[in-house]
Amino acid sequence: MIIVKNLKRYYGTGETAVKALRGVSFEIKKGEFVAIMGASGSGKTTLLRILALLDDATEGEYTIRGLQVSSLPEAERSYYRLTQVGYVFQDYALINEMSAAENVYVLSMMEGKSRKESYETALEALDKVGLKGKHNRVPDELSGGEKQRVAIARAIAKKPDILFADEPCANLDTNNSKQVLDVFKELNEKYGQTIVMVTHEPWHTEYVDRVITLEDGSLVSDEKKRR
Amino acid sequence: MIDDIRVGALIAYCSVKRGNKKTLMFIVFVLSLIFMNLVFLPSMIGGMTGLFTGFMQDYPYGDIVIEPSGDNTYINNADNVLQKVRAVEGVRAATKRLDVGASIDHKQKVVGVTVTGLLPAEEHEVSRYPYIISEGDFLGELSRDEIIIGAMIAGTGFGSEIYDNLGEVRPGSLVDVTYSNGVKRTYKVKGIMEGTFELVDLNALVHYKEIEEVYGLEGSKATSVVVRVDKQGSEDQVQDKIREAGVNEQIFTWADKSETLIKQAMQSMGAINVMSKFVSLIVGAALVLIIIYINVLNRKKEIGILKAVGITPGSIVLSYAFLSMFYVSLGIFAGLVLYFSLMFYFQANPVVFYETMEIRPQIDPVLLIQSIVTMLTLSVIAGTLPAWSVSKESILKAIWGR
Repeated sequence: MIIVKNLKRYYGTGETAVKALRGVSFEIKKGEFVAIMGASGSGKTTLLRILALLDDATEGEYTIRGLQVSSLPEAERSYYRLTQVGYVFQDYALINEMSAAENVYVLSMMEGKSRKESYETALEALDKVGLKGKHNRVPDELSGGEKQRVAIARAIAKKPDILFADEPCANLDTNNSKQVLDVFKELNEKYGQTIVMVTHEPWHTEYVDRVITLEDGSLVSDEKKRR
Repeated sequence: MIDDIRVGALIAYCSVKRGNKKTLMFIVFVLSLIFMNLVFLPSMIGGMTGLFTGFMQDYPYGDIVIEPSGDNTYINNADNVLQKVRAVEGVRAATKRLDVGASIDHKQKVVGVTVTGLLPAEEHEVSRYPYIISEGDFLGELSRDEIIIGAMIAGTGFGSEIYDNLGEVRPGSLVDVTYSNGVKRTYKVKGIMEGTFELVDLNALVHYKEIEEVYGLEGSKATSVVVRVDKQGSEDQVQDKIREAGVNEQIFTWADKSETLIKQAMQSMGAINVMSKFVSLIVGAALVLIIIYINVLNRKKEIGILKAVGITPGSIVLSYAFLSMFYVSLGIFAGLVLYFSLMFYFQANPVVFYETMEIRPQIDPVLLIQSIVTMLTLSVIAGTLPAWSVSKESILKAIWGR
């Protein structure tokens, strides 16, 4: 589903250039739940942002379902982000002035669905992540775990091909982290959702099928896990 | 595009619904002052213009004034002209006048003036001269050897210190008038008139017959025939009808006369008005831009997030345009409330100019509509530009500042 070939990302030029990714290659199959791990500064977040079309690679190829997405113009990348890719931020990145439902259904409206249809889609996604009855609450009225679940609902409401998550549990305690990971696990097992998650917590790998490890911008291991 | 509008409207709606109400009130308050700045001074200038044109109608020119044609000094057979004019539909009243140059002498003080010879009884219907006598009485039909003197030359009214005056002339004082033809007459001052307008208060009035006798005029001559109409605004139609009635002299409306006589003054005020509007617009545009720009900068991360999740830049820009239009609409509404409150206040308590001129601001609907349209246009630009500039930034820079 995802093919990454020799992906490089340099910041700056010449001798002072920071090489965040030094040529990473791997493939991810549909329905896989993959963790990208590595120490701080290993390039895992840079890689995820490039995969989610939030940043550009300096070099290399990146295809999703055969489409060379790395070379798409911005308007098409925007459309791709809207319809094919879900992204869960470390700090939730919710719009504070929108309720949980509005945070979710604004994307469905962007896709051209009616307000009613968008609202129903949002409620369905919020139910999936265990937030039934909390759709009218604004982010300030939700706990950290609940906020992250709203962010997940926003990412999955459009039924994306791939769900990317950038350290989704970084700001959560163990209990809330487990709840969030349980949601990912359920999405993956029950609905076959492809998930790529950046994490630095070893115990998170208990939830995934595969662990890709980066070190100094290079892929150092690609390990299958048996759950 | 429709989806962009729907999403833009939703984002703006949520922002207003759950945004900081104190900030909203502050923005609306500032915008209302910007709106006030656009409309208040022009209203005051409008009031001042109205006051001056009102003076022109109430004293020298009426609604329509008929003057000698060609190089003639007088309208010959003014009674015939008056007869024709009074028969015209829409004419309320008319009278003839004789304006001549003269100097007035009192206790060795001499002042040059225009002396107007008029028919006192007819003036009650045509002008406000009979109603502005501050001391003594107005002329009567039998007034001979009597004169009404303007307060500025009498030395009793406001402006006396600016212009030459006769030094405290009072009703009953005797003054010597030397006319432009050299004839000298002594008059008893019957009254002092105070119209708080130079064209009135620097003049003098005598009975029409006095001027006829001094200049040896026969056959009802006049330097002007002053006409008042039934309905304000009908001057142009009545002017045409008077021409059709066979009056071959020059016929002017008060607007024609105002245009030539106080054109310069009005142009000066017009220039001040235009400059003031321009400055107000620049200041208004800058303030609206600053307010919206700060608002956009505070939401830079939010814009990045919206872009990251797939919201189009078009929707984001539209949301700020809507938001900005909403702020400005509320600002205009609050500004209108403030404006009308001030207008009603100044109608009841006019601004006193030169101690005696009362200026009441004029509410000009065209000006209000222009200002509203200007502010709304400005709001779209002010809302769109900063949002557009931020929405063009990379997602990473907008969210994480790099």
